[in-house]
Amino acid sequence: MASGNMKAIKRRIKSVGSTRQITKAMELVASSKLRKAKSRAELARPYFNELYKTMCEIASANTDFSTIFTEKREVKHKLFIVIAGDRGLAGGYNSNVLKMAAAAHKDDAEKPKILAIGRKAGEFFSKRGYEMVESYSNIAEDIKPNTAQDIADIAIEMFSKGEVDEVYVFYTMFVSSMSQQPESMRVLPMDTVQLEDYGTMNYDPSPEAVFNRIVPKFTASLIQCAVVESFASEQGARRTAMENATDNADAMTESLSLLYNRARQASITTEIIDIVSGASAQE
Amino acid sequence: MTPFKLQIITPEKTVFDGETEQVIVRTTVGDVGILNGHEPYCAAISIGQMRIMIDGQFRRAATSGGIIKVSKEKTTILVQTCEWSDEIDVERANAAKATAEERIKAAKSDKELLLADAKLKRALNRIDTSRFN
Repeated sequence: MASGNMKAIKRRIKSVGSTRQITKAMELVASSKLRKAKSRAELARPYFNELYKTMCEIASANTDFSTIFTEKREVKHKLFIVIAGDRGLAGGYNSNVLKMAAAAHKDDAEKPKILAIGRKAGEFFSKRGYEMVESYSNIAEDIKPNTAQDIADIAIEMFSKGEVDEVYVFYTMFVSSMSQQPESMRVLPMDTVQLEDYGTMNYDPSPEAVFNRIVPKFTASLIQCAVVESFASEQGARRTAMENATDNADAMTESLSLLYNRARQASITTEIIDIVSGASAQE
Repeated sequence: MTPFKLQIITPEKTVFDGETEQVIVRTTVGDVGILNGHEPYCAAISIGQMRIMIDGQFRRAATSGGIIKVSKEKTTILVQTCEWSDEIDVERANAAKATAEERIKAAKSDKELLLADAKLKRALNRIDTSRFN
């Protein structure tokens, strides 16, 4: 009986140990990918900021100016661009952003159209009967400007044709390695900030023409930034989750070894009692 | 020629940050040359070639869409991609051209055709630019 118990405990220790090896490896991989993703996010920011500034300058300098991209209209249909991971085992990363997107339209009469980035997002929404515009997977780690542009072009075309009246992006903001926050942002129609100091600028051929040319670039850049940011968040979330799993495995191994030693001692004690009582019976 | 400050920024990195004597870019309304002291100017850039002069020598790059902004302090070029002529991977460009041509043939919708067409234009521009090397 006691030796059977010991065998079972030993097996548990072994299996916990090999799980720990996996979680430890995933933790290391996630932290190295996180480092890369963070630097990519920083490199992408100047382009985004400069584009946004230019757009605000155009809008500020031309008060009478209006394009379909800034005009608000009655909202009937919405497009959600939802960015989640391709893989699980990242703590609450996937479910947080997906739940947020699903909760965001609960007051609307109609379900939004979905453009999914990341396998988990695609699966989540297609299973629940949403209208899928497109579903991308395995692009987040190394997203190219051209891919982001393709996605932006789809959204812009749907918006200009009137198929959708608003476009939102759902992504996960990277606050720090320990904390990631799901966020939503309206992409179209666009909000511009009134700048105080915009200077004078000659737009060739016209402010509207330049603005309309910038919108697709800006949307693409925004999507790219959101994807890069989300990917960094995913790695951060995975690293934390795997770190916890590794710690749990360590704690489990420790308590199991204690149990094992106790069982071992108990079996030795029983054996001694057996021998002693056997010997005393002989006398 | 007097040099002036130029920044070339793409979504992936800052490609150039330094001084140049002259910039020539392909905007949506044609080639535009910028020298020091140019008036404030802003235009959209289309797929094409860009040249910047450093120490009297032109450096050429293939760019895809973006904008150029000239202000008193500096000139900023924001483009989606910017590859110097000597950095272009011709094999990759040729491969991209072939894929784009196939996609144009196989395109079922206007949207697909448009995307493939843009891809082809970018590939051809890169191939053209690399020839100047």
